[in-house]
Amino acid sequence: MRVVIADDAMLMREGLARLLGDAGFEVTGKFADGDELVRRLGAVGADVALVDIRMPPTHTDEGLIAADRIRAAHPEVGVLVLSQYLESRYAVRLLESHPDGVGYLLKERVSDIAVLADALRRVHEGECVVDPTIVSRLVKRSHDSTLANLTEREREVLALMAEGRSNRGICETLFLSPKTVEAHVGRVLQKLDLPEAGEYHRRVLAVLAYLRETAAHD
Amino acid sequence: MGMRLTRLALWPVTAAAAAATLAMARAHPDGSFAGRSVVGAAAELAPVLTLGAAGLLFWGSRPRNPIGPLLVAAALAWLLPEWTNAEAGSALLFTLGLIGSFACVALVVHVALAYPGGHLRSVFDKGAVALAYSGAFVVIGLVPALVFDPRGEGCTVCPRNLALVHGDAALNEDLGRLGIRVAIGWTLIAVLAIALRALRGSRPALRSNGPVLAAAAACIGLANAQAWHSAGRAFIVNDAADVRLWRWQAAALAVLGASVAWRLFRARRMRRSVAQLVIELGHAPRAGGARDTLAVALGDPDLQLAYRRANGDGYVDVDGRPVPSAIAAGRAATPLLRDGREIAIVIHSDELLSDPGQIEDATTAARLAVENEQLQAEVRAQTNEIRASRARIVETADAERKRLERDLHDGAQQRLVALTLGLRLLRGEAERSGDAQAIDLLDEADRELRLALAELREVAHGIYPAVLGEDGVAAALETLAERLPATVRVGRAPDERFAAPVEAAAYFAAAEIVRDLGEHDGSAQIDVVRSDEELVVEVERIGAIEDADERLVEIADRVGALDGEIDVEAGPNGRIRMRARIPCA
Repeated sequence: MRVVIADDAMLMREGLARLLGDAGFEVTGKFADGDELVRRLGAVGADVALVDIRMPPTHTDEGLIAADRIRAAHPEVGVLVLSQYLESRYAVRLLESHPDGVGYLLKERVSDIAVLADALRRVHEGECVVDPTIVSRLVKRSHDSTLANLTEREREVLALMAEGRSNRGICETLFLSPKTVEAHVGRVLQKLDLPEAGEYHRRVLAVLAYLRETAAHD
Repeated sequence: MGMRLTRLALWPVTAAAAAATLAMARAHPDGSFAGRSVVGAAAELAPVLTLGAAGLLFWGSRPRNPIGPLLVAAALAWLLPEWTNAEAGSALLFTLGLIGSFACVALVVHVALAYPGGHLRSVFDKGAVALAYSGAFVVIGLVPALVFDPRGEGCTVCPRNLALVHGDAALNEDLGRLGIRVAIGWTLIAVLAIALRALRGSRPALRSNGPVLAAAAACIGLANAQAWHSAGRAFIVNDAADVRLWRWQAAALAVLGASVAWRLFRARRMRRSVAQLVIELGHAPRAGGARDTLAVALGDPDLQLAYRRANGDGYVDVDGRPVPSAIAAGRAATPLLRDGREIAIVIHSDELLSDPGQIEDATTAARLAVENEQLQAEVRAQTNEIRASRARIVETADAERKRLERDLHDGAQQRLVALTLGLRLLRGEAERSGDAQAIDLLDEADRELRLALAELREVAHGIYPAVLGEDGVAAALETLAERLPATVRVGRAPDERFAAPVEAAAYFAAAEIVRDLGEHDGSAQIDVVRSDEELVVEVERIGAIEDADERLVEIADRVGALDGEIDVEAGPNGRIRMRARIPCA
């Protein structure tokens, strides 16, 4: 898989490049800001772009803006955004604009190559990724009584759905059969009164929205 | 002093002149207007007495205003035409009567156009008055008198004309006719000027000045009719039509005097009611009382009272809040002085400018209340400034904290994350070369680094939690509860957002109490409730607490800067409960 890296810190760029290279990825480009990334992406070619959310000039959300531009100009390229923001609103903002082929990961997770590789792979396959820490935080903060009515297993399934995993991904993670997973998913959606959408991207957004809503209100 | 004596003396003088003139008229009814009838006597006396009394009262109440003396002069001038009575006897009176036959009308013109302030406002008004005076005293008065010799023209009983220069009957007749025609002119112009003034004035101004203007216009109009009636002749006589017109004029003048007196009476009543209100205010002070009193007194509900700051910088209202110095259209500002220094300004309708005496009366009567309120306003303004300053200090400190947190977040934390990458790569190298010791060292380094990252995150969070600005008090408190090892429960927390300083104060009030709760140190309960216009933060901490006093002072400072309060209960065994009330309107 071909990956390009965009981060304004040289140590991060070089470090990530080495790490990914050792793990079997082909790093086709290293850029220091969003404009350069978008400009040169077509020339160098990639399957996934690994982008820091904060880059020059404003150091706020250039990564999100670059994600918008890449998905528009090169829809075959997935985007994995790295962020230090634990709060869910940036993740949701990213996913709302691009339900598939994007991911939101916490920056400190980069040194964990297994998680990073998995995220890159999923994004390349068109899934979406939401860092588990963000999801678990949302779940913990939620005061919703309906969540309290879920079984342990159902809560696990809910968390994985919020992380953006497809049914198959949930099977692999929990070592369950597809039928079992389907049943769990159906029950969870029913209990939360969420639509059983065919597209799983909408499911991610719906679950995230639900969790965010219940995390904020009693 | 001299003026006062003059005024006092004029009372009996006017009365005596009126009585004497009436006596003269009754003694020689054929040459008079009044004759022997009761109606005539009333018509002779009423104008003198009402105009005279009104004029003297006005003069006494507004010493510098010319209207007072003018009215007294008009009162006396009313008597002049009677003095041309052929059988009067006194040459002086006769001459004065000749010259001043239209004097009263001219004086009424001046009064009507200058009422109530005493100034003639436009060039047109000034012209009309000048025309009236010259027309009355010169054209129809003095000039024909210069060539009028009554004895020479066959009136043997007539007194001598002291103004006679050279008797010329034909010239006298021509001049007389001219004078009368000119009189038709200037009386008409005067009536027009009054009508214009009435039309241009506002409703309230018309309500107060209307009667005076109308009575004056009627009187002048009747004089105009008199002139018309005598247009063919060279002089005014006392035939039946003339006498009728004369009586109607008397009625108009009596109304004029009565209207002026009525206005004075009302002004006095207003002063008294203002004084009464001020006394009430003294017993039961009420913010804005002085303004209300003045508004009632001047009949201007939109009246504003702006107090000057002691340091001279601008104006504030009674609550100490700044008042813009711009004055809206249709409003005017009158300064209030004490010992020559301005202490306040009254912003009122500009119609009141036509009678500055009224404003002065009202403000003089309310002076005490105004002075009291000025002191209050000054104190409140200073308090407001202090409060604003405190709030600014806290906000600046918070802005600093946010910046620090951001710097840590963007700077040190970033670098540490990059370091973890570096370490991971090194570990990969070590694995490849099979260096077990290196692997162990690197793992240790990685652990330390992650601890550092975690601690750094905690420090940054303690300085200013980013989630507070992002998602509000409830979210920030819940995050705090999650992070603390001890049992911290967040009970109620509002999901609405408040102003940033309010949220910061609420958050830090709670955080300051619970921040160092270790796992076995105890527990805490936090509740935040919005009650009316206040955000109430209740924190109960069970377990020993260090530096409680310092923490409480810090919380009190923060909360106090927003005008809030805290109260604290300390129980046995290190139990402490704090309630902070923060206004959040």
